[in-house]
Amino acid sequence: MRHATSPRRFRPSRSGSSSLGRWAVVPLLLMVLGLAAGCGDGDGDDTAGDDPTPSASMSETPTDSAGTDEPSPSESESDSAPSGTVVQVIFKDGQITPNGDRIMADAGEPITFDIDADAAGELHFHSTPEQSIDFEPGTSSYDIVIDQPGIVEVELHEPEMLVAQLEIR
Amino acid sequence: MNVPGRYSDHWVLAHGIGGAKDLPLPTELAIAGAVAALTVSFTVLVVAWREPRYDAATSGRPAPAWLAGVVDSTAFRVALRAVGMLLFVYTAWVAVFGEDLLTNPFFGMFYVLLWVGLVPASVLLGPVWKAVSPVRTINLLFARLTGGDASRGLWEYPRRLGYWPAAVGLLAFVWLELVYPHSTELGPVRLWCAVYVAAMLLGGALWGDDFYERGDPFEVYSTLSSKLSVWGRRGDLLVVRSPLANLDTVVVRPGLVAVVAVLFGSTAYDSFQDSQPWVRLTNDHLEYAQLLNHAALLGFCVGVGLILAAGSMLTGVGPEQSRRALPDLFAHSVVPIIVGYVVAHYLSYLVETGQDTIIKMSDPMGDGSNLLGTGDWKVNFWLSYHPTLLATTKVVAVVVGHILGVVAAHDRAIRLLPKRHQVTGQLSMLVAMIVFTAGGLYLLFAA
Repeated sequence: MRHATSPRRFRPSRSGSSSLGRWAVVPLLLMVLGLAAGCGDGDGDDTAGDDPTPSASMSETPTDSAGTDEPSPSESESDSAPSGTVVQVIFKDGQITPNGDRIMADAGEPITFDIDADAAGELHFHSTPEQSIDFEPGTSSYDIVIDQPGIVEVELHEPEMLVAQLEIR
Repeated sequence: MNVPGRYSDHWVLAHGIGGAKDLPLPTELAIAGAVAALTVSFTVLVVAWREPRYDAATSGRPAPAWLAGVVDSTAFRVALRAVGMLLFVYTAWVAVFGEDLLTNPFFGMFYVLLWVGLVPASVLLGPVWKAVSPVRTINLLFARLTGGDASRGLWEYPRRLGYWPAAVGLLAFVWLELVYPHSTELGPVRLWCAVYVAAMLLGGALWGDDFYERGDPFEVYSTLSSKLSVWGRRGDLLVVRSPLANLDTVVVRPGLVAVVAVLFGSTAYDSFQDSQPWVRLTNDHLEYAQLLNHAALLGFCVGVGLILAAGSMLTGVGPEQSRRALPDLFAHSVVPIIVGYVVAHYLSYLVETGQDTIIKMSDPMGDGSNLLGTGDWKVNFWLSYHPTLLATTKVVAVVVGHILGVVAAHDRAIRLLPKRHQVTGQLSMLVAMIVFTAGGLYLLFAA
């Protein structure tokens, strides 16, 4: 599921665990295929991902370019990009601003997210490759660098909301 | 390669590739495209031929003998069916035994290689799905085993049903892809596929091959797209035709309007749902977002159908002519507009997510294997890094599609309409096509 409320066309981003039973459809498939029954083998776990490797790159530093290789500047409050795009994110009482806004930014330049939150949360960037920010309650600041031109959706998890669309040129 | 993906919270991210989308079309390109479409439309109306040119019964040159020999040989047909079955068995395998993760190539094979790849494959090679269709093959094998005739079922396919089953199937697909919230979870997509296969086998048993030709959503989509290829048949003879002459050979049946309406309407909806106003609206009314999305998808499909119906029917007709038959008779002319728009909408998606899928197909179970030898390939994002070229290609595709559509409608109009209505009678259809093309460009510009 890409977006709980406003599903988008399939993009290879992520998948939750299935809501239908994994095996619910097997009898039908078997019937359909005309195969003899009884070829089920053991691996019937329904959980998404049996290899819960916590992301190392995400938890260490507040400044996050998770998944990408380029070193991003840390301590972004006082870094060298006053001219870059700055996005003010306010997350209070389950409400978030911005609310699906289109935000222009330059490819390869840091985009600063100043977050003021009353609860922890995750901002997910549907960039190529994917990136995300895990933020804590209080104010914090993160830099995200996106190299590839395109529209990058920024989503909040819980509640599922489209926070912004970054228009990267 | 083939790390199962980073794990954060309960979301598992796919490896390597992300979900960036194309930039909107630059204003000047979108306007240039719309103006070109408008100009061409009226130029065609004024200067094009006055006698119908295309005739399925006589058009086309026979293909080279060696080529016809290969294509019509049993070995070639069997080989294509074998390829189709191999892919089918592979798909069923990853669908049943694969992980419920987006590293499972199932999603990419279904949504990208099959659904999007079907169009370019058919435009280049002809009706490919008909040749590889696993449901046809299974039906054929059943008939062989039971000594029956696969081409004939229990009953004659009802005439009035026409392409309607395919239209319903296509709507079911775009619903799953675009509005169903669990469209990237293994269980529901697998269930959809199982129901599809079951319905196709049942239909084949009841009505034989006629059902596949008219009721299989993928075959109908593929065969419609293949009418823009140079490959055609005159009787049993393999012929080479201009795409326009080939387009004229689309078989008109009830429900053709519904098929093109679903195809064009759903693609337009896919652009629309990323637009700012819609995102705002669904964000502000989260509890109704589902309902709104369903209504919008349906609205786009019905809207396209109504515009097409109005465009084709608002003409003078001859005394013995049925006005209500006209929408289906003109529906073929929307096919190039659909294909042009599909190219514009899906090009980077097909190229980049398609590569990603082929890479993932090497390691369907996430155990590090490299079945196809593609596991260590890297996705080439060249296209996304050249946004101007990409945008220009999109506009060219849309405008070329529009030109072909207008010419096809013109030829059909001068064949069908009485002489005195031939010019005025085309105006409404021309307006409908301009609405489709300009609307499509607007969505690509605004989304």
